[in-house]
Amino acid sequence: MSTEPTPGSPEFEALRQKSIAEAEAAIREASSRPDLHLVQAIQALDDTDKYLNVTATRASEWYGLHFPELIQMVQDNIALCKMISEIGAREGFSKEALAGRGFTDKKVDAVLEARDRSKGGTISDGDVGRVKALAALAVQLSNLRGGLDDYVGSQMKKVAPNVAEVAGATIGARLMAKAGGLDRLAVLPASTIQILGAEKALFRSLRTGARPPKHGILFQHQAVHTAPKWQRGKIARTLANKIAIAARVDYYRGAEDASIKAALDKRLESIREKYKEPPRRKPDPSGRPRKEGRPQRREKFRRR
Amino acid sequence: MTRLLREERNGRSALLTMNLAPGKRAYNEDLVLRGGVEFRTWDPFRSKLAAAILKGLPDDIVREGSRVLYLGASTGTTPSHVSDLVGPGGVVIGVEFSPRVAREFVERVARERRNVIPFVADARDPSRYAVSKVDVVYCDIAQPDQTEIAIANCRALLAGSGTLLLVVKARSIDVLKEPERVYVDETAKLEGAGFRVRSLTELSPFEKDHALVYAVQPG
Ligand SMILES: C[S@@+](CC[C@H](N)C(=O)[O-])C[C@H]1O[C@@H](n2cnc3c(N)ncnc32)[C@H](O)[C@@H]1O
Repeated sequence: MSTEPTPGSPEFEALRQKSIAEAEAAIREASSRPDLHLVQAIQALDDTDKYLNVTATRASEWYGLHFPELIQMVQDNIALCKMISEIGAREGFSKEALAGRGFTDKKVDAVLEARDRSKGGTISDGDVGRVKALAALAVQLSNLRGGLDDYVGSQMKKVAPNVAEVAGATIGARLMAKAGGLDRLAVLPASTIQILGAEKALFRSLRTGARPPKHGILFQHQAVHTAPKWQRGKIARTLANKIAIAARVDYYRGAEDASIKAALDKRLESIREKYKEPPRRKPDPSGRPRKEGRPQRREKFRRR
Repeated sequence: MTRLLREERNGRSALLTMNLAPGKRAYNEDLVLRGGVEFRTWDPFRSKLAAAILKGLPDDIVREGSRVLYLGASTGTTPSHVSDLVGPGGVVIGVEFSPRVAREFVERVARERRNVIPFVADARDPSRYAVSKVDVVYCDIAQPDQTEIAIANCRALLAGSGTLLLVVKARSIDVLKEPERVYVDETAKLEGAGFRVRSLTELSPFEKDHALVYAVQPG
């Protein structure tokens, strides 16, 4: 600011052009729809979780034919797969091979002892190679998963900071994926957000008159699933309300607004206070005992 | 020569600004010739500054050669007229947070007008657009804490004895308070920060529950 450019001067025009270029870059970035990449990333994350689970389970089951004691001793599937892929057959397990894996000396000794008196069968070189490859794939998937998780966390902060704050990055991203993008999430009513991911239950309720679902993806939120059953619907509704506001602010304004999370926390507090006790069943005016389970079909929706 | 014209049209006052970019529209305003010079119609229903001027705000606050920091440039409707008013010797630094609305501002206003410098930035961070001291800070960002934001911008960039024009939208400050109450509270904040409040112009019938506060920062 020491050199204040005079309007109309070449310096002024240079400054103006630079500002225009920067503003246009910011506008381009916003219109490249980073939310759609985020939607793909969260789905890739959830897919990867599944593959990872399947692959690691298969690797450990297969390897267990040869060295079942190791499977028993190492609970962490990824750590196990890492060992299988790097060390291979039982005979390869030594103090050196086990170093740097975060095991206590006692544990290392126990593994070595298990190696010596293993009840597992022998395994051919070919099969060791196949199990190693499978285990290596699980490790790779786990690395991929970590990268996707970091990306979802950091992109949510940029693309939808308020949704990330209120719903959490992962759940927020899943809601966005269900809706089809931040723009779509921003126009959904709170009542729809509340049951996103519970479409099956919703249609069943429309068809049969069963009670409508209280939550879909939002059940994954700790405020919902850690709450006593009778509070969950109310908490999910409140959460959905605030997420709807947050999505709108993120889409239309793009600025962080700490007051949304503050209002949510306050509201949750008062729900927990007000509905501390489980509700007492209202006596049925007909005198008949209340039916458990899904209510009967409503006349209107009866299938022909 | 003034860059602002007032005319009577159908018994009502109308405003025109001298087009800095002849032949170009910034939105869908009319281009008209007066004395061989092109002017643009300035609609008080679309621009709160025009509404305030028609309702008695002095029209020489934003004048030829003024340097103006415009917070909340939006699509650039009002900034384009401010650009007309300050003319080739003035400067309009336009700040808009939302990239979606800034696009039109940059394309139709900043690109076409050599006195406009655009920034896609948050008015909470004046260091992002601190390219010049200014004579006027115009703030219309519809945020609950916009008075505080405006004060911080004046501290950072307003020259001594410069002017603050602050649009107060009662409902975005507090939905439950009476508008008059909001106006009193917000002007009190300005006075508390050392500003002298010269006037408060209610914008009805052009805008509902809006006012424009005209305040001067002590030199
Ligand atoms: C009421 S509109 C301004 C209309 C404009 N003054 C006119 O008359 O043409 C408010 C604008 O302020 C922007 N805004 C809101 N918060 C902001 C902030 N913190 N920094 C910069 N711009 C902001 C909004 O994106 C919106 O475009």
